[in-house]
Amino acid sequence: MSLERKIPIEERLNTNAWDVDQRPHIRIIDPDQCRKCDKKPCLYLCPARCYTPGPDGTVLFSHEGCLECGTCRIVCPENNIEWNYPKSGFGVQYRFG
Amino acid sequence: MGLKFDVTVVGAGPAGLTAAQQLASKGFKVLVIERGKKPGSKNVFGGRIYAHVLDKLYPEYVKEAPVERWVRRERITMMTEDSWTTLDFETTKVEHRSFTAYLTNFVEWLDKKAESAGAVVVSEVPVDKLIIKDGKVVGVRAGNDEIYSDVTIIAEGINRLVLERSGLAPKLSPELVALGVKEVIKLSREEINERFNLDDDEGMAWVLAGYPTHYLPGGAFIYTNKEAITLGIVLYLSYGYQLDIPINELIEEFRLHPMIKRIVKGGQLLEYSAHLTPVAGVNASPPSLYGDGYLVTGDAAGFLLHLGIIIRGVDFAMESGRLAAEAVVKAHDSGKYDKESLSIYGKLLEESFVLRELKTFRNAHKVLIEPRLYSDYVRMINTMLKRYFEVDGTPRKLGSTLLETKGNLTLLDLAKDAIRVVMNL
Repeated sequence: MSLERKIPIEERLNTNAWDVDQRPHIRIIDPDQCRKCDKKPCLYLCPARCYTPGPDGTVLFSHEGCLECGTCRIVCPENNIEWNYPKSGFGVQYRFG
Repeated sequence: MGLKFDVTVVGAGPAGLTAAQQLASKGFKVLVIERGKKPGSKNVFGGRIYAHVLDKLYPEYVKEAPVERWVRRERITMMTEDSWTTLDFETTKVEHRSFTAYLTNFVEWLDKKAESAGAVVVSEVPVDKLIIKDGKVVGVRAGNDEIYSDVTIIAEGINRLVLERSGLAPKLSPELVALGVKEVIKLSREEINERFNLDDDEGMAWVLAGYPTHYLPGGAFIYTNKEAITLGIVLYLSYGYQLDIPINELIEEFRLHPMIKRIVKGGQLLEYSAHLTPVAGVNASPPSLYGDGYLVTGDAAGFLLHLGIIIRGVDFAMESGRLAAEAVVKAHDSGKYDKESLSIYGKLLEESFVLRELKTFRNAHKVLIEPRLYSDYVRMINTMLKRYFEVDGTPRKLGSTLLETKGNLTLLDLAKDAIRVVMNL
């Protein structure tokens, strides 16, 4: 993988070791709140791009690449994110933390 | 688990494992509960550990600890799109003051220390909340399990969910934290030695400000390990809303800066990680660092000293863990683990470097959050030097070049900011 270009986030996440739980550990509580939110900081401050724009101003969330940093929980202006750590050791397995 | 322990520690990181080792070695029955698959698998940091705490705790560390390289060079760079100005410190003396490491490996090593002292470390169990009876913390709840103990040491890290859910800390706010995003890039030992002008065991620690965060408060770091470098950016989250591109691309732009690109050339990405870091010191501490049946240590307590150029987390975490253990021993001798007996923890912290340093630098955060430091000043110094070195027959003195290039900054700004920096950092 050449470092001479922007490496797409999916490719970067693929270099990590994972043991992903089927059950998501994070949940958007009320999609309507996202629709009303104009800043949507989750879209650009999540370092794993787990949050992507959905239809009608909603936000889609996917937990698979979550790096468990906790940023989304803190920057969500609506407090609209239910945030937990993955259960039973699941999630990202850092080797070079 | 129907077991009863003397002490339960929430989180097997630098703070929790130090507390556990200290207490287990004094005969306490200690249980450490860790959410990761093994200790270290959820830990991320920038890349350097200050060794002074290890001299006291584990003098054998020089031979044993997973040290990558001993830091001999320090660099501070103010960077724009097309130029940079660097302060480069180097010493020929090999002083074992700080070393680069992978926190994952280092925590695994601390885990071995704690376990060989007799602590029980259980992994893959996230603690949900504390069990509080009549205002006293009597244990922890994890899923359907309840574990009871005389005292609980909370070392859960920056995302202090357990404290928040138990009503012992308010929700973290963006002003108190920064987001670090890091890439570990494999290079050969020879490439690193050559590109950073180092010998085999010598390392470099490098902080950069300005362009890496698109001139917002925060910065970038590069640490040399044996056969990899760690490169990352840190952004104060209170300024996150002003970011003009997604943070996951910000780090790519930094790595692709013409002057960084040549340093990582031919490298291979090994890992991409992210973690929050406390930036407000004691201002980020929970309302109380101890109470009936519990003590708070490490990042969960806000114990990280952030001075922009110097960032120290692991030594503060370990020292707070050691002092928590000492407080528990003293409380045990008094026969009670109530708030009054455990208040000795506060006293020990005040006497140690943990609170002495954090309180000395109580206002560092307010200075470092000033956006001018990362934008106007970075641009000014680079423009000024560029102009100064651009010899074209026009007579230029340093002073007049400065006046010419200071942009929007007034002389009053310069004076005020200089005083604030000198007084508080």
